[in-house]
Amino acid sequence: MSKKGIATAVDAVTKKDWYKLDLSAIVYPTLQRRDFSSVYRLSLLLKEDIDPEVLQKAIDMTMPRFPTYKAAMRKGLFWRFLEPNHRPGPFVQPDVKNPCQPMSFKANNRYLIRFYYYYNRISFEAHHSLGDGTGGMCVLLTVTATYLRLLGKDIENGGMVLDIREQPDPEELEDAYMKYANAKVKPPRPGEKTYRVRGTKEPFYTLNIIDGIMSTSEVMKVAKSYNATITEYLNAVLIYALAKRQEEGFHMRLKPVKIAMPVNLRRFFPAKTLRNFITMIYPGIDPRLGEYTFEEIVKHVHNYMQYYVNEKFLRGDITTNAATTRNTFIRVVPLFIKDFVVRQFYTKVQDRNSSAGLTNMGALPVPESMRPYIERVDICMGQPFSSRTNCAIISFGDIMTINFASSIIEADVERHFFRKLVKDGIHVKIESNREIED
Amino acid sequence: MSYCVNCGVELDATIKDCPLCNTPVINPRELKEAQKRTPFPVEKVPVEMVKRKDMGLLVSIVLVAIAVTCAGLNLFVFKQNYWSVAVIGACLLLWVILLPEIIYHRLNVYLAVFLDGLAVIVYLYLLTWLTESNEWFYGVGVEIVFFITILLEAYILCLRVLPKSILTYALYTVTALGILCVGLELLIDKLVRAEISVDWSAIMATICIIIDVALICVLSMRRLRNAVRRRLHF
Repeated sequence: MSKKGIATAVDAVTKKDWYKLDLSAIVYPTLQRRDFSSVYRLSLLLKEDIDPEVLQKAIDMTMPRFPTYKAAMRKGLFWRFLEPNHRPGPFVQPDVKNPCQPMSFKANNRYLIRFYYYYNRISFEAHHSLGDGTGGMCVLLTVTATYLRLLGKDIENGGMVLDIREQPDPEELEDAYMKYANAKVKPPRPGEKTYRVRGTKEPFYTLNIIDGIMSTSEVMKVAKSYNATITEYLNAVLIYALAKRQEEGFHMRLKPVKIAMPVNLRRFFPAKTLRNFITMIYPGIDPRLGEYTFEEIVKHVHNYMQYYVNEKFLRGDITTNAATTRNTFIRVVPLFIKDFVVRQFYTKVQDRNSSAGLTNMGALPVPESMRPYIERVDICMGQPFSSRTNCAIISFGDIMTINFASSIIEADVERHFFRKLVKDGIHVKIESNREIED
Repeated sequence: MSYCVNCGVELDATIKDCPLCNTPVINPRELKEAQKRTPFPVEKVPVEMVKRKDMGLLVSIVLVAIAVTCAGLNLFVFKQNYWSVAVIGACLLLWVILLPEIIYHRLNVYLAVFLDGLAVIVYLYLLTWLTESNEWFYGVGVEIVFFITILLEAYILCLRVLPKSILTYALYTVTALGILCVGLELLIDKLVRAEISVDWSAIMATICIIIDVALICVLSMRRLRNAVRRRLHF
């Protein structure tokens, strides 16, 4: 394509006055309740305290670079869509004890993102319908790079830090699912009821957070001793914790224990999108077949990952998901009926497919010049849809943070999880927002 | 640096109890550490709610339009009687009922229920005005509305003030149902038979009392309560 052609394409994208929701984003707004939104949080802990005024300036300078994040959710007759939001904001605000609060589409000047500061921490919360953790991390790192530049630091672009003077690349704004959902077969979705953690619900709206901070190299060493990767090992530990919780708790009969784990499809397909591009896999064990040792769980997870996490299987999976939105009959059904059906399907089938959620964003790619200013990175998957716990992992340098977010009082799964890590010789430091009453 | 004696994890210096197992953490050497900044803010802020002003305005306009057009039709086209008064009254009643939901969210719930009761009385009076007899209105209508309003206020008070659980909600609901049946029969009898007696409502009241006694037993015996919760949880 000629230079002029590229410029026209870029103009067409940047001047777009609305964006279709991507394949994953369609589901999240339908699950919206008064007390629930699919909101996740990413935090960067810098080495110095945050200046909120400079941060606000950095946000104002950076957000136009991310048109799909500076957007508002609107309802059409058949689908929802995003449209550019030119209202004032988003505004940086002091951090709160109860993060990932439900996000009404009409509140907060219709912004679906929030920025917070707390001493040396910048937190970014986004509704999942805008994009996944990778897209969100690009926004947060670019805002932070601009903030540091405003403070006189010399920060280069690269990795997840985008150039704010550039126009957005059309590929950053596209729905990459539709580009790669082209397998010739649609494998069936897994549909099995799994063990669900029962617990005492916290009052509206409380999100209990437990952060485990540890050394990445220590975890890697232990994972290697089990012949597994870090993701496989931590998956196995969570399955082990859930299985133990099921065994100890009241149960009429045992049920399979499965984890819902998002896979970043950018690892397998050359997509640059900042919107959602993930698919779920469900590693797990079936305790009805017998008692599993931890080594067996690790081996099982390892084999599962080897078998399913590859370009072929993932392409098939997204093709199955895309088939529903490609179906003409489904497309012409009014939105309120779609909402009802999707909500029912999610509540009765999808949500029961897994006992907990786990996501591993891996090591954070940050430009070398930015590294000295960052202390740590945190990630929080947000409030779970049903009473269970969500686990999110991220690492920066040699510091790995494992975050558990749950809206139930009991912390049995978290306890079994971290005790297992300690037992395997990993030093874990705990931080929490929980208040334990006598 | 403090460690949980049960879990073996290091705990942040500001943590007083292990978040994993609730074990208290006391490190006499690090009492000063408690003054340090906590890893999470301590301020909890309420969730931002949307002001549904647009919806309130839309509903108000639609109701006013219905009332005005019906009044116009009544005055100029269908002039048999003042039927539009019933429609205008219904619009007014609907507007008062929707008031806390769409216009003024902070309206006290007891005041809202009282206003609803008052609106129902006004509506009944308008209907009486359309009919020849107003005996039913003064004889029983006003009293029933007052009775139901007071019962509803008491029911809401119980739900908000007394202990909250599925079993206690069932107890309050069944009790309110029993009182409603007896009250309705007494008030209707006063008008129709001119004497007060309980008949069908006695059966309802008996059933409600039996259920209440069973619920109170379950609530007062912890072991039984836990067994019921365990088997009936959903």
